[in-house]
This record gives sequence, C-alpha cells and structure tokens, in this order.
Amino acid sequence: MATKVVDLRSDTVTKPSEAMRAAMAAADVDDDVLGADPTACRFEAEMARIMGKEAALFVPSGTMANLISVLAHCDARGSEVILGDDSHVHVYEHGGISTLGGVHPRTVPNNPDGTMDVDRIVAAIRSTDGALYYPTTRLICLENTHGNSGGKCLTVEYTDKVGEVAKAHGLKLHIDGARIFNASVALGVPVDRLVRAADSVSVCLSKGIGAPVGSVIVGSKAFIQKAKILRKTLGGGMRQVGVLCAAAEVGVRDTLGKLADDHRKAKVLADGLKKIKHFTVDLTSVETNMVFFDMADPRITPAKLCQALKQRSVLAMPTSSKSVRFVVHYQISDGDIQYALTCIEEAVEEILACDAKSERCSTNGTS
Amino acid sequence: MVTKVVDLRSDTVTKPSEAMRAAMAAAEVDDDVLGADPTAQRFEAEMARIMGKEAALFVPSGTMGNLVSVLAHCDTRGSEVILGDNSHIHIYENGGIATLGGVHPRTVPNNPDGTMDVDKIVAAIRHRDGAMYYPTTRLICLENTHGNTGGKCLSVEYTDKVGEVAQSHGLKLHIDGARIFNASVALGVPVHRLVRAADSVSVCLSKGLGAPVGSVIVGSKDFIYKAKILRKTLGGGMRQVGILCAAAYVAVRDTVGKLADDHTKAKVLADGLKKIKQFTVDLTSVETNMVFFDIADPHITPDKLCQVLEQRNVLAMPASSKRLNSVRSTA
Repeated sequence: MATKVVDLRSDTVTKPSEAMRAAMAAADVDDDVLGADPTACRFEAEMARIMGKEAALFVPSGTMANLISVLAHCDARGSEVILGDDSHVHVYEHGGISTLGGVHPRTVPNNPDGTMDVDRIVAAIRSTDGALYYPTTRLICLENTHGNSGGKCLTVEYTDKVGEVAKAHGLKLHIDGARIFNASVALGVPVDRLVRAADSVSVCLSKGIGAPVGSVIVGSKAFIQKAKILRKTLGGGMRQVGVLCAAAEVGVRDTLGKLADDHRKAKVLADGLKKIKHFTVDLTSVETNMVFFDMADPRITPAKLCQALKQRSVLAMPTSSKSVRFVVHYQISDGDIQYALTCIEEAVEEILACDAKSERCSTNGTS
Repeated sequence: MVTKVVDLRSDTVTKPSEAMRAAMAAAEVDDDVLGADPTAQRFEAEMARIMGKEAALFVPSGTMGNLVSVLAHCDTRGSEVILGDNSHIHIYENGGIATLGGVHPRTVPNNPDGTMDVDKIVAAIRHRDGAMYYPTTRLICLENTHGNTGGKCLSVEYTDKVGEVAQSHGLKLHIDGARIFNASVALGVPVHRLVRAADSVSVCLSKGLGAPVGSVIVGSKDFIYKAKILRKTLGGGMRQVGILCAAAYVAVRDTVGKLADDHTKAKVLADGLKKIKQFTVDLTSVETNMVFFDIADPHITPDKLCQVLEQRNVLAMPASSKRLNSVRSTA
C-alpha cells in the first residue's frame, strides 16, 4: 500500500483536480498566437474583471509574469526599479530583470511584516538632478503576500500609500501578487480593491488555486499589449493554450473559497509546533498559508529535521541554517496536519536520540 | 449547419486529438520545478533517444527553444552567432537573442533552397586577430526545414559539412528543427542521423505533429543543464507540465507517420494552383508541407485573394506583396 506523501514544501505542488482534468480534455481551443484561443480569451477577460483591471494575459509562470511586467514598465534603456531586498523578484528570479532586461534594481530593506518603509522608498527614488550619474527610477514593486517574511499581507492602506508615492513621482506600481488571493481572504478585502493602486499585478494560478501551470498578468489595455509582445519574445507564446486556461478557470471557480481553510490549517500546524520546546514559532506571524519556525535546539538542524520527516513521507523546505518552512494548500487535509505533527514529534525524538547516542559513543571511544 | 474552416495558414493551428485530450486528462504529474514531473521526464528521455542526443528539455514554444539554445551556447559577453538572413530566428523572434540575450547576429544570405553558401559561412567567422573590434563567433544556426524559402530540406550532407566547419573553428552548431521531422520524412533520412552534426536541435511539437503546446530542445547533458536554468530565467519553468508532455507524447507516437501524407497533399494543392494561369508555382520547390505561390496578375493581390478565400472559410497567409503562403497539415 502506497503511503500518501504529505507535501508541505510549497503550494506549487498542488495537482490538477478531476474537474480540472475534465475541463482540460474538453477545452475549446485555437491558435492563440495566430489568432486567439477562445478559452484563453474568456479566462483572461474573467481575470481582468475579478482584478478590476482592463485586460489580462496568461503566462507560463510567475517568473515570466514579473519579468514581463518589469520590462514592460521599464522599456527605456537606463531604467531602475525599487523593490524589497527580500522579494521574490530580487532573490529567486535569476536576476532576469537585469541579465535579460537590462533593468537596474534598487533594493529597500523588507520589514518582518513584508512592507518597506515608505520614507525609504521615497529616499530610493533617483533625483532627476543626477541624471548624468543615475539610472532613471520608473517602477516600484511590492509583493503581496510577502513570501520570505512568512506569507505576510500588505494592507490596502499601505498599498494605497505606496501607490500615491508612485503617482506623485511619475512612477508605476507593480504588485507581485502570486498569492494575492491569500492576502485578500486573510484581510477580508476584495481583491480588486486591494490592488486598485497598482498599474499591474501578477497572479499565480498554479499555487494555492491549484492549476497545473501558469500565472496571469493584469493591467491596462496598453500595458497588456506591450506585455503580449514581451511574452512572445521571451518564448511564452503558446498555441492551443486554452488547455491550460481551462484548468485555471476551474481553479479560480473551485478553490478560491478554500483558501480561508488553508489559513486555518496553517494556524493549527503552528499551534502544534509551538508545543514542541525545541522550536520557536511566532504565532502572530502566521497570517496566511505559510508557517516558518526556527530551531531553538542546536542538536536539531533544518536539514536533519527535513530528512527525518522525508523518511516519514512528510516533505518540508529548509529556509536557512536555522529555519524551516511549511506551506499549506487545499490538498492537505486536517488529518494530514495531525499526521505531520506526529511525525515532527517523532523526528525530533529520533534526532535527539541519535545525537545522544553519538555523544556517548564519542565519549566511550567505541563505534 | 456549421461550415468547416479549412485553415491553411500554418501547421500551428492543429487542434489536440481525442487521444491527446484523454492523455492530458489522465497524465501523471508532479511539480517539475521543485522536483521532476514524471510524464515530462519520460517524454524528454524519449525525445532525446529519438533525436540521438543525451538529454532533452520541454519548453513552451519554438521561440523559447531557439532563444535558450542560442543563449546557452553564447553565454559569454561579446558573442556572435552566424545565421541565415531569412531565418525564423532572425526575422520572427523579436530579435530576442540580441534584445534579451546580448548576442550579436551575423547574417549570411539564405539561398532559395534554404542553405547558406558554406564559403560565405566561413567568411563570416570572426578572426581572432580582430578581437579588439570584433565580437567572438561562437555558434552557427541552420534551419531545417527552412520556412521562408518554402519548407525546404537541408540534406544530411550539407548539415554534416556545416558541422565540420563549426567543429574546425571551435564553434557550436544549432539546428532550428521546428519542422525537422518533415525534413527527415521527405529526405528519407532517420532524424537522428540528419541532426548528428548538431550540438543542439529545437523541435516543434505544436506544428505538424499536432500537440497543443510546446517544443523540445535536445543536446548534451551539460547543455541541457544550462538550458534548464535559462528556461527558468525566461519564465518557462512550468509546474505540472506533464499535462502538455502527455499530449506531445501522443503527437510523436501518432502523427509523425502522417507527415508523408501532408507532403502528398501539398503537392496536389500545388498541382491544382499551377493550372490557374493567374498564378506562378514552382512545383519542384514543394518539398514538404508548404506551398508558396506568386500572383502573376496585377489585378489580384495576396490580400484580396485571402479576403475572398476567408469568406469561403479557407484561410491562407499572404507572405509578401506578391506571394501567398499556404501550409498544409493534417486536419
């Protein structure tokens, strides 16, 4: 009997549901490059409507969505973008905005709550007086929810404030909204209101929403027109792409309503972890579907813990030399959460026992 | 009653078959970025085997297939690539190798048969003596079949010859093999033999083979390792991508055998066009699944003709102010 794997490494691991598979098989498709795929068209129109923007574009990944957005806003040579020093675009996207797009990044420190201080953002905007030495600031990027700080939500007030700063300085605002729906649900703010200040947003469909592939970019018609050409240039122009959009459509329809439950399960997991004295968990920091926790005991390392969990078919991701991350999604049940907690307790015991054994062995000098 | 549209604009219009749809719905999948999607892995291994290379990588499009290949071979600043002045990479890929990749193109004229003169290729290779002024040539690109000249096949002898030139000058050879299977079938040369001289090949699955999405790049393990990172950087790292690979697998299994028939049908179409005195058609130029024809009568323009055909549910593509492109593929 195959043991079910409880995969808490990321919400990207979600597999397509039966409804998605049926939708993919039945999708009405056409060549989306030569003309327009009807399913893609319909889905893009729906996403634009949901996000409160004029138009939308389906792309193969969140990386491409952010890359296109930055390049579209920064299409003049010598551009600079202000973004968080711990943002996904800056840390995990291969520096593509620079290596491929020639755009210069200007980082501002991310606070533990995912924000950047507004006065520091303003201070990072290049003065036109220095045009002989400075690149030209064109764009500010926010990330909501903010992944590396633990899936933290940026409030609508904060987002609006940064939007005002952008506008006052003639800049654009892009939101890496890979998990924007998680933010919307956790904050109780309609998603279109949450991103109203933004010129563009990238939204992942393949994470908590559960689709097999893809993200969508939303923005003005003019922006999306530029984005479409950039998408083709990067190699993201797919033909009968309605196959993938059909699954994404089902994801938005069926899974958005389950995100609140993911947040609840994350809190249950965090509560369980807090009871284990070898870990430190800040319960107030669990706002959405991510749980970060630190090793308080030097005998337990993230690598050892993840290894011991893997043997028990529970997968997690070490995030530093001292911390581990769990990400909850709708294919993780309450039972899975309890199972994971049991395995974590066992793993801790096993690691400590091994450690004690090797200590005794090294003291005695026997193998 | 809905009239069927006869879409002859391109072989990219092929819609997924019932077998493909069933395969997509049933595909065994996993996160291909965090780990490896089993269907993608199986398909990539199979494509590598078919093409006679060490490894393969599935990508969302032919444009990305070529872009990744050029960037992987030319990963040092100041690189130059030799390619045809009428090649797909140079004309129809938004100049991405330069605008995104910083690679400089050096074109050589394409002959009507799709080749570039070998002596002109050699002449285009930058001399090291000029390193203070010249970029460094690193790569030669061929295109087989060659689209803009009418779907022309580059022979295995020609390909081998260009491969020798590349090797003797320390360059790599990439083949834009979007329609390489058409070439293989028309020439009667096994596809792995046809591309043996190449360091990498990009192969389209979404054209005549009929899959809904994608291309595959093949090459050495080292090359594919670099390609995978470039793919992610460009934004082509898809998660449960086995969905698409499942359809592509069916395409390779079921449709390669039908390509010869596409070529036959193209010839029938060309024969018919020849009988119309207002057109000029070179029947010998119809080697695979494309038919280009010129309009001899100034009263008829490509736009007018395509317009009138569209009213009759026949779609075609004007290729210039005088010529039309009609690409036949399996329905």
